[in-house]
Amino acid sequence: MRANAAHRTLSASARSHATHRDNSVLTSVLLSLPVLLLGAALALGLRSNRAAAAVAVVTQGIASVLVLAGIAGVLRGGPTLVMSWPWPPPIDEIAFRIDGLGAFFLAWSLPMTLLGTIYAVGYLEPYFAKGRHGGPHFGLLNLVSVSFVLIYSAQNALVFLLGWETAAVAAWLLVIWDYQKQKIRFAGFNYLVSTHVGLFVLVAAFMLLHSKTGSMDFGAFGVFLAHATPARPTIFILLGTSFALKSAFFPFHTWLPRAHSAAPAHVSALMSGVIHKAGLFAFLRFTLLMGRPEEWMGWSVLAFGALSAFFGVIYTSTQRDLKRLLGYSSTENVGIAAMGFGVGYLGWCWGNPTLALCGFVGGLLHLFNHALFKCLLFYAAGAVYRATHTIDLERLGGLAKRMPQTAALFLVGGVAISALPPLNGFISELVIYAGLFSGSAPSASANMALVAVAAVLAFVGAVSALSMTRAFGIAFLGNPRDAGVHPAEEPPATMLTPMALHAAGAILVGLAPQVGLALIRSTIALFPVGGSLDAALAPLEGIVWASRALALLLVVAGLIRWLQGRRARRTATWGCGYTAPSPRMQYTASGFTEQFVRVFESFLPSARREQLPTELFPQQSGHVSTHHADPVEQRMFEVLGQGEDFVSHTSERIPEQPRFAFAAVLIGLFLIGALLLGGGRPW
Amino acid sequence: MVVARLLNVLALLVMPFLLTGLINRVKSLWSGRKGPPLLQPLHDALRLLRKTSVYSTTTTPLFRIAPWVFLLTALGSAVVTPLLGAAALASFPFDFVVFAYVWALGRVAIMLAALDTGSAFEGMGAAREATFSTLLEPALFLVIGALCLSAGTHTLSEALAPHWRAGDGSLVIWACGVIALFIVLQVETARMPVDDPTTHLELTMIHEVMILDHSGPDLAAIQYGAAVKLYVGAALLATLLNPWAGTTSVLSASANLALCALLAVVLGTVESLIARLKLRTVPKYIAVALVSGAVALLATAWRAGGLP
Repeated sequence: MRANAAHRTLSASARSHATHRDNSVLTSVLLSLPVLLLGAALALGLRSNRAAAAVAVVTQGIASVLVLAGIAGVLRGGPTLVMSWPWPPPIDEIAFRIDGLGAFFLAWSLPMTLLGTIYAVGYLEPYFAKGRHGGPHFGLLNLVSVSFVLIYSAQNALVFLLGWETAAVAAWLLVIWDYQKQKIRFAGFNYLVSTHVGLFVLVAAFMLLHSKTGSMDFGAFGVFLAHATPARPTIFILLGTSFALKSAFFPFHTWLPRAHSAAPAHVSALMSGVIHKAGLFAFLRFTLLMGRPEEWMGWSVLAFGALSAFFGVIYTSTQRDLKRLLGYSSTENVGIAAMGFGVGYLGWCWGNPTLALCGFVGGLLHLFNHALFKCLLFYAAGAVYRATHTIDLERLGGLAKRMPQTAALFLVGGVAISALPPLNGFISELVIYAGLFSGSAPSASANMALVAVAAVLAFVGAVSALSMTRAFGIAFLGNPRDAGVHPAEEPPATMLTPMALHAAGAILVGLAPQVGLALIRSTIALFPVGGSLDAALAPLEGIVWASRALALLLVVAGLIRWLQGRRARRTATWGCGYTAPSPRMQYTASGFTEQFVRVFESFLPSARREQLPTELFPQQSGHVSTHHADPVEQRMFEVLGQGEDFVSHTSERIPEQPRFAFAAVLIGLFLIGALLLGGGRPW
Repeated sequence: MVVARLLNVLALLVMPFLLTGLINRVKSLWSGRKGPPLLQPLHDALRLLRKTSVYSTTTTPLFRIAPWVFLLTALGSAVVTPLLGAAALASFPFDFVVFAYVWALGRVAIMLAALDTGSAFEGMGAAREATFSTLLEPALFLVIGALCLSAGTHTLSEALAPHWRAGDGSLVIWACGVIALFIVLQVETARMPVDDPTTHLELTMIHEVMILDHSGPDLAAIQYGAAVKLYVGAALLATLLNPWAGTTSVLSASANLALCALLAVVLGTVESLIARLKLRTVPKYIAVALVSGAVALLATAWRAGGLP
């Protein structure tokens, strides 16, 4: 059904080719759709896994080239690509439009999906060896690319929803690759439900817009949204909620760690790094349609982003499962990007170009950077899983000696994601800091609030460094903690190459931010905030040079020490006089964050099950196990699972309260309801 | 200008050793000993440089590189710090962000090296360092942000220029800044009451326990790096206290040096008279810095009449 619809759009695109000769560039982008669908169909049909993989890689390669050729002009500041043709009711007209924003997202989404597909060839090889058929999986990866082309070029709500839903369902089917395991089916189902809750909210917003405009065209939406009407805040909140669910903002993140830990590594990487960026894309798309935002919107986006970053990063600190940890870190990073957008909103609203540019540039650059280093980290985690069959930090250790290349690549990703100089994460956070510290808000209290948010960002950076030090230090350094773990070996070249390319990207954007800026320049030009990008970012030139100098010195010092150390004396680790240390005495992942958890225990509830030995000479062995569940999910399940208890418990409490309070609450509720219902109308 | 730069470099070479020696001398005097010569840390460093490093069989190349990363980051932070009260070696907008993140990079390098040894103790130090830094970084950003807003600037050197004479609540901002930066100094340089730089009881330490396995030139790099951080932290605070800060003059430079020495005496005295806090209470101590930072920030809005 869905595929049919896609085919219809395609034939339409072919028809329009004849009539819109001037738009042959956009046609090249849309031509990638039949190529990708053909690849998907072939991958499904072919018996041999090798052939299916080859077809997927080749068609995605062709599609990437087609798309890049199509959008190159837009990225260089050329005119927006527009194409439309009539369609029978109720759709009336199908329109595609690629402006700077769509071009920016297309520019890296398809190539990164291609890299993920190449990685999948190596990652799934052990499954293929056992006789598993990978054709559908590769076909679905092609569909993910299809959904990107649809979402990022759609100018019509129905086409947009089609792409949105294709991405969601394809991602779900990709997640449950290991569907024989109940845990993984549950994680997949959990994701499916959450993403559709988001879809309902999105459809509600579109219905509202349709009822106001009588059209499904984004252009008509834009005309309506440009004016401050009573419906605008509602639509803003509905859209924001839906996009927040898509991008896994706190507190809508509960599906994310489960899905990321269940999915194959390349799927986690693509979901976290690329697919869920569609939520942020859609947010920006509607921001552009809406035009100059109101101040409360800016503050809410900023606060929401800060909240997400804060909780996301706090949850990373306790995870034992490496992929869950990386999943929470996605919540953190989309939060940081949203903080940038919040700053941009405020700057736009106050007519302050520097602030607006810093915010939007920082946010856009950060989500691109996040795609670079998060995919890298997930790929490295996948390499660990493939080699050791576990990603439980407590069981790993000493992998750096047996997988030195993977370790080095993970370290690059870890330093980048902790926003440490001289890599790319530092650059994007720096631009956001430049906005937050600019001191150019119209009031002193606004300036104060922005600096307070900067302190939150500093906290997020420090905790992120803690989590990454812990993940890398426990898994890759020291000695192996568990003799039962499969001996590790380096992954094949199909897995190492995508990782190396992502790492190269992270280093490149870190040392030469203009590469990243070149991608977003045309997007920034869409925001009518005034001011010049180069002027706004000129103050940061000094830092970029400082960070380059630091990188050079680090490399030189590192090389010298590495060469010198090769003929150094070696002995056992100093055990402070104890002569029989064992790997079990090493610091553990849980131990590493024990003190941090104690400081933030109100946010990090832990469940502890123990049976300790009691007698002086215990006959039976005891055990202790601790577990950090997601507090939001726990609470959600509590309410869902014991909903009846919860309601009866609450209703039991009512008569116990003094009657006055009860009456006061009733009156208050009535007043709030009346205000909400009547607020929009003139009295 | 060239002379000022040369003097900065000279101060960076000598002062770290001198300040560490001074703290040791103060502690010796308090405990009734004569104490080692003031430049003993320099002799120690030179002696270590002549030795060869010994590495654990557990370690990877990361362990050999980390001490030099630490030293480089410490020196990097010194470049943007007004070491002599004005005119840092390099000064550009938002250099304080670089300052904080460069320190974070050095910290991560040392923590990873500690975990690299697979030791039962060193991970403990790394965990503590990581935990405390999560509270310290926001405190640093709050206080520097408040100073920047108050001075209407974006660079570290200008943000630390004399504040308390500006009147109208500036005194509050300034005083909170002094308190917060003093705590930052104590935590970052592993001083009492947060950390004990002298004991060799592994269970009580943070910085010292992380570097148990380093030896020879590597150890010298870490010790010089730590001393540089001490001087940089002291210089920040001294510039904030210095009434002539912001002007490139002999008076301002010598006042800064004298204030640094005074801070070393204070640190040594605190270390001699106060016991180390229980590890559980250290986060609360750092929270004092956080609160001071928050108060300073509130004061900026209050001064501008922004708060009701």
